[in-house]
Amino acid sequence: MTVREHLDRYDGLRVIDFGGGDQPEPGERVAWRVGIDRDSWRRQRNPVRFGHAFGQFLDAVDPAAVTHLVIGAWDTDDFVISTPVLRLLQHTAPRLPNLKALFLGDIISEESEISWLRHGDITPLLQAYPGLERLDVRGGSGPGLSPISSTELKVLRFESGGLSASVVRAVGASDLPNLQTLELWLGEREYGGDTTVADLAPVLSGERLPALTRLGLMDSEIQDEICTAVAIAPVVARLSELALSMGALTDDGAEALLSGQPLTHLVELDLRHHFMTEPMVARLRESLAPVTMLLIDDAQEELDEEEYGIRLFIEVAE
Amino acid sequence: MTEFTVIGSPDDRRVAGFADACRGEGLPPPSVVPWASLLDGTVTTSIPPGLLRIESPGGDPDTDALLRGPGEPTRVSGGARWYAAFTSALDRLRAAVGPGTTWLSDPGDIAVMFDKRRCHARLLAAGVPVPAALGPVTGYASLRAAMAAADCGRVFVKPAHGSSGSGVVALAAHGSRVRAVTSAVRDSSGGYVNSLRAAVYEREDEVAALVDALAPDGLHVERWIPKAGVEGRTFDLRVVVIGGTPTHAVVRASQLPITNLQMGGQRGSLDAVRDKLSAARWAQALDVCAQAAACFPGSLMVGVDLLVDAGLRQFFVGEVNAFGDLLPRLTGLPGGLAEGLDTYTAQVRAAIAREAAPCGT
Repeated sequence: MTVREHLDRYDGLRVIDFGGGDQPEPGERVAWRVGIDRDSWRRQRNPVRFGHAFGQFLDAVDPAAVTHLVIGAWDTDDFVISTPVLRLLQHTAPRLPNLKALFLGDIISEESEISWLRHGDITPLLQAYPGLERLDVRGGSGPGLSPISSTELKVLRFESGGLSASVVRAVGASDLPNLQTLELWLGEREYGGDTTVADLAPVLSGERLPALTRLGLMDSEIQDEICTAVAIAPVVARLSELALSMGALTDDGAEALLSGQPLTHLVELDLRHHFMTEPMVARLRESLAPVTMLLIDDAQEELDEEEYGIRLFIEVAE
Repeated sequence: MTEFTVIGSPDDRRVAGFADACRGEGLPPPSVVPWASLLDGTVTTSIPPGLLRIESPGGDPDTDALLRGPGEPTRVSGGARWYAAFTSALDRLRAAVGPGTTWLSDPGDIAVMFDKRRCHARLLAAGVPVPAALGPVTGYASLRAAMAAADCGRVFVKPAHGSSGSGVVALAAHGSRVRAVTSAVRDSSGGYVNSLRAAVYEREDEVAALVDALAPDGLHVERWIPKAGVEGRTFDLRVVVIGGTPTHAVVRASQLPITNLQMGGQRGSLDAVRDKLSAARWAQALDVCAQAAACFPGSLMVGVDLLVDAGLRQFFVGEVNAFGDLLPRLTGLPGGLAEGLDTYTAQVRAAIAREAAPCGT
């Protein structure tokens, strides 16, 4: 996953920019992307506001046929909170009865730093689309989220440079019996990522996530602590895919994984972007050879030498 | 036999690269007139007749001292003085050249390309798509005022006479919340020097100090066009246009908004970029580069920096570089006029062909 390119595929479908000129092939199922062209040279004196663009979209397509929707930039200002967009989507729900998958904030670092993207409360939106099977949210420390209940939701992902613990706790307290994929980019405290291992306890127990097969606890500055907790977490036994990538993973975290419960039942273990030593990488490759997709970069990330000493940087923060 | 003369710095790899290309084409090595002799006024002999190529003064420290005055070669400041000395030397060159000389680049074109404000204005007037300019900007306060007036929270601030990304600042600002990515870092004496690793400033007082330090040498400010990504990195394209035809293209990909190869940008996959663009849009991209080059009709070669917007539909010319052909080992676009040729060999052939063509073409 990258925050430097717009999505060209979403949930297996081709993403088509509404207003960009491309059209679906006959019979092709696509994900529609709606956003404003925030720094358009041609339109700079008349920025097309998001609501207008979204209205045009609903008029141009058959809304009942829309199953996948990607929301891009919603304002010309970096810092405008998404609340009006969320409200608009909420009120549009009756016209989009078959929406199955929604990506909020396909906005890349060239458009806005992830920490500058602000979301409002997404709980009413989830309630307005009870049939939603997949939700991806990219943005700063928010969004607001209260515990939810859905029998349909199968994929839930939060991309953030600093995910608020309140989101993690709300997910843990939610009732999601059919959730198969949960990905949380936890980020840095400096950018609002205040999640502790204790906040992850309900997720790691897996008691309320009986269908979970893919778990990502990623992009964390406390990646080692997370690995230590994952090494003894009950949920791991039912997973086929585990991602502990993008964070400040060192030999300590890897050692915890190696000395914990067996991981060789996994089909995929993602440990990319790390600060492990070569001998540790070799040990992991040997011990975890049965894992079909063992994703580890050969070399560790370069250390970032800052004024106050060496810092292990996570992949996505600011 | 046609002979080349090169105005350059004798030990510079650009000069060596061009001499290699001449040798490869069976031509005698070019005569080299050092920039230093033009700058200090010691050029005594007139320029020999033939084809005259003006090359970058390059990184030669003595030449740099003649252009910018003595000081740390990596310092960011001194652009205004550099430009004054550089254009005066071009004027002296014009006076020293006799009628038997064919200019491969026009000193007037070069002077425009080394003033980003004039270059932008020339492109804009010709209808070439460029990011909207803000300004004039004389310091941080006026920069923020210009951004507010344009309702623009993200800009590129460029020293008017800079090159290779020197002193460029990618700035996002909202109230007192700011984030600036730049090559310029403070040195021990309080000035700014170019760092090969980008610096990030997130305190407004730091950003204000930087912009205020850059401003006296002249600034060109543009809207920050959100650039597309490829293979997980942000990219733009450097397209070399020779004799009006885009011949070479390199993808400059970076984790940073500033993609210059001197600042950690790396060559990315052109195939991957072309896969992302349809064939029609790739042709359109090259056409925009040709349009930009056509604004400099006296120049056999220019290097166009082409920005592709994040939605992969719009193209903008970021800069046009008079000396934008230092791209070692890069060969021409497949199927094009320079397929298999490096940028220097392609220019040698184009210059010879043009010389051999009937008068007036």
